[in-house]
Amino acid sequence: MTQTLLRATGVARRYGDVEALAPTDFELAEGEAVALVGPNGAGKSTLLAILAGAIEASEGVVDARASIGWVPQRPAHYARLSARENLELFARLEGVRDATAAAARLLERFSLPREERPSGELSVGNRQRLNVALSLLAEPRVLLLDEPTASLDPGQRRRVWEVVNALRSDGGAACFATQNLEEVEHADRVLVLEDGRLVSTSVEEVFE
Amino acid sequence: MSAVALLLRKDLTVLRRSPLLLAALLAYPIVIALLVGLVAGYASSKPRVAWVDEDNVPAVVQVAGHRFHVQTIINEVSSNVTLVRMSADEAARELSSGKVVATITVPSGFVGTLETAARSPSLVLRTGKGALASRVTQQVQALVYQLNRQLQGVFIKANLVFVQLLLHGGKGSFLGRQFTVLGLDGTERLLAGMPPGKRVRAIRDFVRDARIGLAQTGTALKATAHPILLRQPKDKGRSWVLSAQVQSYGIALTVTFLALLLAAGAAAAERDEGTVGRLRRGLVSFGQLVWSKVALAAVVGVALGAGIAVVFGIVVELGGVTGGEPWGRIPLLLVGVALAAAVVGAAGALLGALAREARTASLLAVLVVLPVVFLGLVPRDALAFAYWVSEALPFAHAVRWFGAALYDASPWRTLGEQTAWLLGIGGVLWGLARLSMRRLAA
Repeated sequence: MTQTLLRATGVARRYGDVEALAPTDFELAEGEAVALVGPNGAGKSTLLAILAGAIEASEGVVDARASIGWVPQRPAHYARLSARENLELFARLEGVRDATAAAARLLERFSLPREERPSGELSVGNRQRLNVALSLLAEPRVLLLDEPTASLDPGQRRRVWEVVNALRSDGGAACFATQNLEEVEHADRVLVLEDGRLVSTSVEEVFE
Repeated sequence: MSAVALLLRKDLTVLRRSPLLLAALLAYPIVIALLVGLVAGYASSKPRVAWVDEDNVPAVVQVAGHRFHVQTIINEVSSNVTLVRMSADEAARELSSGKVVATITVPSGFVGTLETAARSPSLVLRTGKGALASRVTQQVQALVYQLNRQLQGVFIKANLVFVQLLLHGGKGSFLGRQFTVLGLDGTERLLAGMPPGKRVRAIRDFVRDARIGLAQTGTALKATAHPILLRQPKDKGRSWVLSAQVQSYGIALTVTFLALLLAAGAAAAERDEGTVGRLRRGLVSFGQLVWSKVALAAVVGVALGAGIAVVFGIVVELGGVTGGEPWGRIPLLLVGVALAAAVVGAAGALLGALAREARTASLLAVLVVLPVVFLGLVPRDALAFAYWVSEALPFAHAVRWFGAALYDASPWRTLGEQTAWLLGIGGVLWGLARLSMRRLAA
């Protein structure tokens, strides 16, 4: 019997009078991959940020039963620090025992530059890879990815899906937002959001 | 290492890698401090005052037999104001427009009354209603005091002439009338030619007592005119540029400027770089985020404050200024700098959270810091409202803290009071910044 790793009940987010996300239920079980699709402003990023704990829900409850890694849509790291320094800083903040080793391992895994160049000067692709690498520092069982392949070349995209698949095969789970419908093939389930509301769970409807 | 320490180290690294920003942050407040000092020094030294002469005072006035060169005396005694001769109409116009801060009128008949040496003529002072009125009144009072001092000497000499007449007898004049006085000497001579008796003895005793009493009149008159004399030995004192107050203001202004801009920029930058969401995921609380910006302001403030104090001290020592630089008090000063910078840092974190974007936060910080600093420079008797507003802000308390730490013989009471103020203000600002951090994460 599969275990539920992440569950959200009635989570919603409002900014003043604007409802960014209507009350939504969500569940993610071990070994599972869920795709969030929908147009810009549909509420995908808001839902992922709430599930990740990056923003507070206006209402509803998130029950996380496993460690979570979060890849925000826009790379979130300090532009004047190098890739290594960013990885080491966030590893220490995450409480990783050997931050230096963890940073070195992820630099290697994602082929990130080892020189002390500020990460703000890296290519868009490298910055996005650093963004993904930062989410893996604490070796999470659940990965939440917000359009992770948007600025990557085909080789780099493949590497991201390899990370997701490896996580799933290790008993973890992933939920990713995408606007590229071809990427839905990496998911077991699809949730379609529109105007902040969950409107469908059918892959067929997405393609229609 | 704690989350606050990790973020502080990150912010210091980022700052070190922005040399242009760092140089601007250091240079700008120092330049502002110098400019404020120059303006303050100029403003406090020479207010412009109109001199209205309705009596056509001649170049030379004779009082009690002494000749006074009027312009020379005015130049000597008006070191604190710039006196500008003008007509009554012109003076009234310039006073209403604020071109002069006061008018002094010499009314018709002034010199005539003065020359009698019997009554006191009046000068008429009119001031505007601005913040400088009370200070100008004090300076004109000082000017009249200096004039009176010069005239008192002459009046005393004139009065002593009458005392000498009473003692020794002779011819004198008063208000143009000539008269002859017998004097005590003449009285004694007359008494010597009279047959001895009880009445003659009584008159002789009176003459002796009167002679003793009158002999002390000169000293008594001088003491009455100047109960207290102020002696000013020639010494190598401090110029205003090196004064304790300027040092306190300079450090406070520089640290306030730097701490506010730095903390505001650093807080808003967390949102610009998108890292606040990552940090919020259980890695760093909002309170820790504020503390990290407060610590950044305090650390950089202490480094800058120490640098300014050392440079100032070297200038003072090289100049051989009396009192020298209180080197032993520098560590105490730096405690205050850390406290003040931390409080201002909390204000900066608040601004950064409200602005939500580094460039806006920096602009907002510059807009806020200037009135905060200038309010702190307004004296209490100049504009009470501004004074009380500045009491609710950290700058004025920082100035008092620094001044007491460096130069007060017993600074602890002042330091205690100002520390309490700073902690109170800092607590409120920290709480507001902590609440406002939600805006960064939204």
